[in-house]
Amino acid sequence: MPKHIVSGLKYLTAVELIREGLSQKEVAKILEMDRSTVSHYLNGRNLSWNSIEVAEIITKFCPKDFLTLTYALLNDSEKTRVIVKTCSKKSYEASVEESCIGCGLCVDTCLLNAIVLDDLKARIDSDWCNGCNMCRDVCPTDSIKILEVNNGY
Amino acid sequence: MVTNTKEVKGKDICVQRVSPEEKRELAYKDDVCVGCGICAKICPTEAIELGEIGAIERTGVDESKISIDEAKCVLCGMCSSACPVDALDLKLDEKSIKDMAEYPQLIKSAEISDDLCIYCKACETACPRDAITIARILPERSKLVTGEIEIDKDTCISCGICEEMCPADAIEMEHHEPTSSDPTVSSDITVNKDKCVYCLICRKSCPVDAIKAVCRSCSYGDYDLNPEDSETTGSSFIDEEACVNCGWCQEICPVDAATVEKAFEGELILNQEKCEACGACVDICPCNVLSFPEEEFGVQGDKLQADERFCIYCGACENVCPVEAIEVKRTAVKHTPTKSKSWEKQLSELKT
Repeated sequence: MPKHIVSGLKYLTAVELIREGLSQKEVAKILEMDRSTVSHYLNGRNLSWNSIEVAEIITKFCPKDFLTLTYALLNDSEKTRVIVKTCSKKSYEASVEESCIGCGLCVDTCLLNAIVLDDLKARIDSDWCNGCNMCRDVCPTDSIKILEVNNGY
Repeated sequence: MVTNTKEVKGKDICVQRVSPEEKRELAYKDDVCVGCGICAKICPTEAIELGEIGAIERTGVDESKISIDEAKCVLCGMCSSACPVDALDLKLDEKSIKDMAEYPQLIKSAEISDDLCIYCKACETACPRDAITIARILPERSKLVTGEIEIDKDTCISCGICEEMCPADAIEMEHHEPTSSDPTVSSDITVNKDKCVYCLICRKSCPVDAIKAVCRSCSYGDYDLNPEDSETTGSSFIDEEACVNCGWCQEICPVDAATVEKAFEGELILNQEKCEACGACVDICPCNVLSFPEEEFGVQGDKLQADERFCIYCGACENVCPVEAIEVKRTAVKHTPTKSKSWEKQLSELKT
């Protein structure tokens, strides 16, 4: 069952990436699949529509659940990043206040590897943030603010 | 979810957080800790608590001076940066933050200049932490005196008086029982010229004037002595882990070879009226600042005295005093610059 959901998620991601203008070859590389499998996916073969439905529901979960569930299914940081970022329809703006003590808990927590430490202060790459808020939740000094940005969707 | 693990080895504590990104490890060494509690003061998550250091110090109970709550600790490293004696050390992927420029460090040091040091060992004796080792090589005694000595063996009656009198053990006789074939009490007498200092006591004490000796240093001064031969050489070593930069070495050094820079400036205020002379502060002070001087010979006084020249303003005495008779004011905390506003703020809040 988890495998089927992963297939569904990969299908949704593949469709989106093709829509963004990537070639089947590029999509296959990113998702670590055979090019033929990508082709099959896009033609609706070798895939149960039920899996896609479940995957679609998962992408509509709150960002934290979507992310943690995807990570749990794939157990792979890079692919989780691609799938979650591609299938998320929302943009976020993350900022870190001066009260940050640079403990790095957020860096260790972020499943999208969007945070680095810079001179004892966390720096969040908003492009990679999916708004899961897990960093904000672990921050001991309440220094992280994450806002949803209206990007026209 | 990343969580901390804690390992306690004897009185030492180690808190760890391992993630795919990095490994953070905070190590606490109890034997280095002086009980100042600065770590507890600076900790932004209140994860560190100072124990009953007075009781721990005086009873020798098997307990660490501080405790670290691994559920609260976020391994930020502030305690490590602020610890005036380096009892705490945060390592990121095995590298100490004390070696990283982005982390502020207390500005403190103790150095002994080998160019100026005369290896008198005053600092080694005075250091309250036994952190200094002076290894010295003394000049060769035989090179500092010159002279001549000769024993007329025909005149010598082998009485052994010179051998007994010689303060340098330079004269040796070969005593034996007289026999009919060799009716003497000693077969030979020799002078070890490496040991002889030409003091002439043998010559003066010989009852038969068998010894002829002269001290050239006395007769002609030092003209034939090489000044280099009279120099004591050596090396000095400060154990940085034990050193608390108290300044004893600097104050006691007769040739200004020791230089100490202290991280904190401040004031030590004693309230004689409140003090009940329990002596806990004297026991805990890592710098031998405090004492109860004898009032008269052999009688222990009860008036607390402090020599602030040696104080590092760590505040351990204030923590341990049961009657609040000591106040330690910190007016400056000297540290290397940091771009982090929060670190700057936490460090400056150590001032009182």
